[in-house]
Amino acid sequence: MNILDVRNRRVAVLEAGAGAPLVYLHGFADVHGVVGDFQPFHRRLAQNARVIAPAHPGCAGSDELDRCGIDDVTFHYLEVLDALGLTRFDLVGHCVGGWIAAELAVRHPEQVARLMLIGACGLFVPDEPIGDVFMHAQPERGTDLTTLRALLFADPKTPASLRFFPDGRGDLDEEMRRYQTLRFGSFVGFKPPYFYNRALRERLHRARMPALVVAGEHDHMIPRAHGDAYAAGLPGASDLKIVAGAGHAAPLEQPEATADLLDAFLRETGARSEPLQSAPTAGRSAP
Amino acid sequence: MTHPVQLYCWHFMAYPHLPADFDEKYDTGWVTVPNRLWDSEKSRGLYQQYIDQLAYADELGFDGMVLNEHHQNIYGLMPSPNLIAAALSQKTRRGKIVILGSLLPLQLSPLRIAEEYAMLDNMSDGRLIAGFAPGSGPETFNYDVPSATSRGQFWEAVDLIARAWTQDGPFKHEGRHYPLRYVNPWPRPTQRPHPPIWIPGSRSRETLVEIARRGYCYFLSSRSHGKETAGSQQQFAKILEEHGDRYQPFRMGILMSAYVGETDAKAQAEAKEGVWYFLKNCLKGHLRREGRQLTFGPGIPYIPPDEFRNYLKFSDPTSPLLGDAESWDDLDESASIIVGSADTVYTRIMEILEHAKIGHLLIQFHLGNMPDALARNSMRRFAIEVAPRLRAESARLFGREFPDLARQATPEMAK
Repeated sequence: MNILDVRNRRVAVLEAGAGAPLVYLHGFADVHGVVGDFQPFHRRLAQNARVIAPAHPGCAGSDELDRCGIDDVTFHYLEVLDALGLTRFDLVGHCVGGWIAAELAVRHPEQVARLMLIGACGLFVPDEPIGDVFMHAQPERGTDLTTLRALLFADPKTPASLRFFPDGRGDLDEEMRRYQTLRFGSFVGFKPPYFYNRALRERLHRARMPALVVAGEHDHMIPRAHGDAYAAGLPGASDLKIVAGAGHAAPLEQPEATADLLDAFLRETGARSEPLQSAPTAGRSAP
Repeated sequence: MTHPVQLYCWHFMAYPHLPADFDEKYDTGWVTVPNRLWDSEKSRGLYQQYIDQLAYADELGFDGMVLNEHHQNIYGLMPSPNLIAAALSQKTRRGKIVILGSLLPLQLSPLRIAEEYAMLDNMSDGRLIAGFAPGSGPETFNYDVPSATSRGQFWEAVDLIARAWTQDGPFKHEGRHYPLRYVNPWPRPTQRPHPPIWIPGSRSRETLVEIARRGYCYFLSSRSHGKETAGSQQQFAKILEEHGDRYQPFRMGILMSAYVGETDAKAQAEAKEGVWYFLKNCLKGHLRREGRQLTFGPGIPYIPPDEFRNYLKFSDPTSPLLGDAESWDDLDESASIIVGSADTVYTRIMEILEHAKIGHLLIQFHLGNMPDALARNSMRRFAIEVAPRLRAESARLFGREFPDLARQATPEMAK
């Protein structure tokens, strides 16, 4: 883990692999969200790219932001990317990381070569509310996190779900990473409840780079309609791709299948894809 | 001049008409407890009964009446304690009216509370004690207040209110959460410079430091009074010293519940139903392991990470909470709900005062679905048979332990 200095803020960054830069923005059941190191999914990505995974503000070893709404976090990442010297890169975001990735892509489409969203939140879809990770993080009977695992995984009894969100008191450092990620989530996504920016959906048209939208087959946290909305709203995306057998935490639950989808997309779209041609503005502004 | 312990009657105004199988059928009494359980017919006159009990406390000579704010639960039916305070201001003449407290981050602007508290202070002729609280888990869920920002919001609101009460307006407030161009509330409070300010806390060092910096009174919002209570008092005393101040008993208050009967056995028999209704139903979702606790924990991440790390290190998620008590013996251990004869209640409370040296004792008499007559009997026994002894003995204790107190005209120490 490297500690990057970004305008006097500490940002924890994990890196692996070599090649074209691929920035990975994490979610709850993920690296930085629970564990301190890359998991098989991330290592797969690192076989063909230089994977750079900063921890969100307040998560793992990163300092909290003084102001930490979604706009603040987006600008924070622009500064992180400046500090890393990355002007153009592939961008992968999972869960809340997917939301931030989408915000970056609509603001600075020229910097994002290709956009990949896995179980991304961030959109408001009427009558399709995002799950309440905060309430489910409060254990039942003091120790039982079954409903939190059911939210984040296809099945609350799988070894992966029990490994990442065990009942009772787990390893202290992992408990702290979980707490800090929930605290980051509270800053960035509690209001409005939960994890969306109403304006984002109408802004997706600006992100014209090739895009891949992925969701677990049994994502109980982010309803399928959100993945569909991203796929429909991003001009460079085809239909939502489903990871069979996975829940919200597809990269943990089905690392090979999830990585296969990303690999195929990266192969199809070439080593360094250029943005799609802008739609002719005359057509849009004609009376 | 002697300074006896100040004795207050606290009413939570629980919902008393739950079905007998509530605990079996419903997993919480908080936030999501279905409001179709509210029985409009049975609830006629309920607020009147509760307000009258508080007015009775005033007649009996209690030093004050305590109210607090809750939303969407069966534990406390006061979404607006200020409404009840307004009623008490007209029904009573003597005791303090303690609102402990209004949940500031739930307000669009804290000036609303500055205004309402100033009204209440005028309406009660200067009897208001102004409590402010940030709210915890339930309120973040009910009102969509992000836990992580609520503490910063809270302290800005407290400071804005105190400034609005003391500094001539109009002035501008360039705050992050509540920026305002024209702060100029009418009316101003009766008490000068302003009503005493009490802030609840549950041992968070951060909270104690903020209270100490401002010279306010600390209300320990804990439901158990073993050794930890004395520990909290010592922690607060130390923090006060770090801020050039000195602890005395009227800088701190605690909450407990009491039922006084003719004998221990009679008290237990009379209080049993109300106490267990309170423990099993009202505390479900709050201080019971059964169900889902919504008042503290990782899903309500308001405390800074360093403090959470300490909490993880020094707490055991499998240890029982107050509402997990299964017997009178379990309850005795918590020293929080004291049920017995006047002698028993006096002795148990005096033990707490002796080791914790706390000057404001906020006592809940009505528990759960306790019938009106029993609550009143218990209050009367307390007022006649317990309070005089507590006052005399605590005045001796505080006089001995805090000789400086004798030079002070009034126990109202919070600025």
